[in-house]
Amino acid sequence: MQKGVENKGKYNFRNNITIDWCPGCGDFGIVSAVTQALSNMNMDPDDVVAVSGIGCSGKTPHYLNIAGVHTLHGRAIPYAVGVKLSNPNLNVLVMGGDGDLLSIGAGHFVGEGRRNSGVKVILYNNSVYGLTKGQAAPTLPLGEKVKSLARPNIMGKINPITLAMASGYSFVARAFSSEIKQLSSIIERAIKHEGSAVIEVLQPCPTYNDVNTLDWYRQRVYKLEDDKSWDPVVNKKEEDEEKFDTGYRKSLEWGDHIPIGIFYENNTIPSYTNRLAGIVPDYLKYPPALQDVSDKDGYTIVDPIKTFEEKDIE
Amino acid sequence: MQETDINLLVGGPQGGGIDSAANMISMAFSLAGYNIYGIREFHSNIKGRHSYIHFRIMHERPKSLKYPVDIMVALDPDTLFEHMFDVAQGSKVVYDSAFNTFNLKNARMITSDTMTRIQDELAERNLTFDVKGVLDYFKSAGIDVIAIPFDKLINENVHDGPANRYYNTLGAGTTLALLGLDEDHADDGIKFAFKKKPKVIESNIKVIKAAYDYVKTSPIKVATLPTYPATPRMLLTGNDATALGKLMGGLRFQTYYPITPASDESTLLESHEEMKFLKNADDVVKKAGLVVVQCEDELSAINMANGAALTGTRSATATSGPGFSLMAEGIGYAGMTEIPVVITFYQRGGPSTGLPTRNGQADLLFALNTGHGEFPKMVISSGDMEECIYDGMKSLNYAQRYQMPVIHLIDKTLANTMDLVPEIDVKKVKIVKYNENTNHENFKRYSLDTENGISPYGVFGKDIFWMTGDEHDELGHVTEDSAMRDKMMEKRMQKLVTADKEIPLEDKAVLYGDENADITYVTWGSQKSLLLDTISELKKQGISANLLYLRMFEPFPSEYVAKVLKNSHLIIDVESNMTGQAAKVIRMNTGVNIENFILKYNGRHITLDEVLRSTKNIMEKKTALEVLQEGS
Repeated sequence: MQKGVENKGKYNFRNNITIDWCPGCGDFGIVSAVTQALSNMNMDPDDVVAVSGIGCSGKTPHYLNIAGVHTLHGRAIPYAVGVKLSNPNLNVLVMGGDGDLLSIGAGHFVGEGRRNSGVKVILYNNSVYGLTKGQAAPTLPLGEKVKSLARPNIMGKINPITLAMASGYSFVARAFSSEIKQLSSIIERAIKHEGSAVIEVLQPCPTYNDVNTLDWYRQRVYKLEDDKSWDPVVNKKEEDEEKFDTGYRKSLEWGDHIPIGIFYENNTIPSYTNRLAGIVPDYLKYPPALQDVSDKDGYTIVDPIKTFEEKDIE
Repeated sequence: MQETDINLLVGGPQGGGIDSAANMISMAFSLAGYNIYGIREFHSNIKGRHSYIHFRIMHERPKSLKYPVDIMVALDPDTLFEHMFDVAQGSKVVYDSAFNTFNLKNARMITSDTMTRIQDELAERNLTFDVKGVLDYFKSAGIDVIAIPFDKLINENVHDGPANRYYNTLGAGTTLALLGLDEDHADDGIKFAFKKKPKVIESNIKVIKAAYDYVKTSPIKVATLPTYPATPRMLLTGNDATALGKLMGGLRFQTYYPITPASDESTLLESHEEMKFLKNADDVVKKAGLVVVQCEDELSAINMANGAALTGTRSATATSGPGFSLMAEGIGYAGMTEIPVVITFYQRGGPSTGLPTRNGQADLLFALNTGHGEFPKMVISSGDMEECIYDGMKSLNYAQRYQMPVIHLIDKTLANTMDLVPEIDVKKVKIVKYNENTNHENFKRYSLDTENGISPYGVFGKDIFWMTGDEHDELGHVTEDSAMRDKMMEKRMQKLVTADKEIPLEDKAVLYGDENADITYVTWGSQKSLLLDTISELKKQGISANLLYLRMFEPFPSEYVAKVLKNSHLIIDVESNMTGQAAKVIRMNTGVNIENFILKYNGRHITLDEVLRSTKNIMEKKTALEVLQEGS
């Protein structure tokens, strides 16, 4: 029987841990979309790992019935990459806030674009640091004053979509936490995509962000796919320049109209795991996690003299 | 017949082929049945600054180095100035006759501090500030000065490329000729050193011949050196040995961010990613490959290694002080979440970026105190090539067995030591597997149902469980319950008690030499072999000494160390730091207060003569602290 089929529609990806997010938090929509996507894909729970950082978003893995790691602030990506590269058979989801991924973890966010290891980054964007009481996050625009700030924001904002594209991510999308169906279908597509993905999820923080509220977003977001001519997918290298350019320009749109959907998907960039397969024989079949490290008697399988053949002396 | 004991220094510009010269000399001597022990010194610079190799060649395996040297080869004028006092009466200095007109003020690659120091030393002896001044000093000190017309000899014999390409070979050839090693062995050395580049062998052999002919036709008298049958050995550095140990121990995932002197280990592993060197290639070759990731920073390196460990992969990272500072949070996380991960820590001169390419042993207390809060971690230290290999294996084993971060300390001196290592016993260390979970249904990753503190280990892909750096319950979910907190703290810390019980004493501390001795040295790391040589040297002089050598700092063998030291007469702590950190650890764990110190923190390795001299000062002049200063 195909793995996962017996669980079709039956496996509950939500566990019984009490969720302690504030009422009205956009995080609830993200959890729903993730569980829906996994369920729709008949995913075997053993094959999925959720990795988060710190803060409200960091709690997500505890609420999912899959293996979950709640790591350190900013470090979800490297952690997830370690899981992915040592066992590329696993589907690894990164769940982090905009502060986590774009401030303290910005270097990792950029580094992963270059690697394209195949992890899927779900970026919870509410423009504030919720769990530490509402400080400005790196996506809050310059001069914006949300509830807990003493003065208007003194720093400029990062555009997660342009940064993701510039860093080399081969799948870049934006969603809105209340549009659960679209978000879950984007997550499905991202999981099926071989390389790394960034999905920015716009979401309200009902407690600390009194500017970008649920209604504020509802009045502004529109779906890219509603334009039937919108085609962000690069299947041939020669399409890349034009599609990257179109997606990049679209990503700069903000204000009265905010696009959500897939901005860019490039299927021509080999993932890090596939690049490794070109170096390490049988890497995809026998990745580090599935190898024998000792012989049947429990001793090393490495021959020391052979290892340093170029240096050994007789 | 007196045993051959040659101390040799080959100096030249960084990037000027010092390594190749060292390889040629090592290969030639090893093929003639000798053993080599050498340490590489270099600036944090790519090309031009002074670098050198300090060698010792004996038939028996040498374990330490001596100053002054018996022969010095100067491939640049800087070497003559920098090592003026490293050669003694009766020794030989080989240099390029073109240096004769060289003035110190043109030595652009000598730093201003060193320049001032050299000028002061020359002025003190009424010598001119040029090569002539140094040569005058050599002559007055009874040192044979041998000027070789480098360009002329090379140009007469080879015609491919600029002459300076062969300076290192000519220097090596002249050295071998002057030491009396027969030319065939020199040629064999070349063939080995360049076996990956067969095209250059022929020209280099011509240069060797030129060197031998020059020495033969000169008035210099050379005695023939005895040769011995060669046995199979591997020429390894500490970096190589550690990489080999980790490979043998089942390492399959290594992360790093480039840093001296740790990177060489990862670079070597990277070149072996396909793992073509297995014992039974037919059975396992399909299943073996190593992943090495160069990360965006050290924060990534430690956390990526942590992540890989959760799939059941034996995982490690390697760094030095500045990188280790950044890894502290990830190590704390591994401690809290009980991840088996190895951090190979190559110490160098600190603080901050300190002396990037020089030695230091000042990170012991830092390693012991890494991370906030209290969590179990293991700190082990290696002192020679064999230990690097076996500890490389054991560090992975300990991590698997006790599910905690294992910090493996090595120092720069050891990392850059070249040593001929006899055959490795592949059955000396058995591969230990983690305590596997069998209950996949309701898996409690942090089960409290354990006496030794070791819960079953879960593997992503097979088990569903949760992890958090917050305090957690048995399933791995966040908790702030006061009673659960106590239980989890106690369970985690219990693993150190278990490790202390299970790990044999010889892996923690070893007493070398007679139990009742006049002097007890205490040391760790690369000074191990130096002090072993020291105690046998002292024995020849009628002084009895022993060595308490420390291998494991957490868990610390308190009882044994206290017992040994309470029976000791004169205890001398020897370390490459300024504050005697191992002595502090001993005092903290045993209450024994060590009062005599031989310390060095100028970034250079300690030599045999330095320890012997300092020991005499402590014994005779009652100086409690000897600070060593040799080395360029």
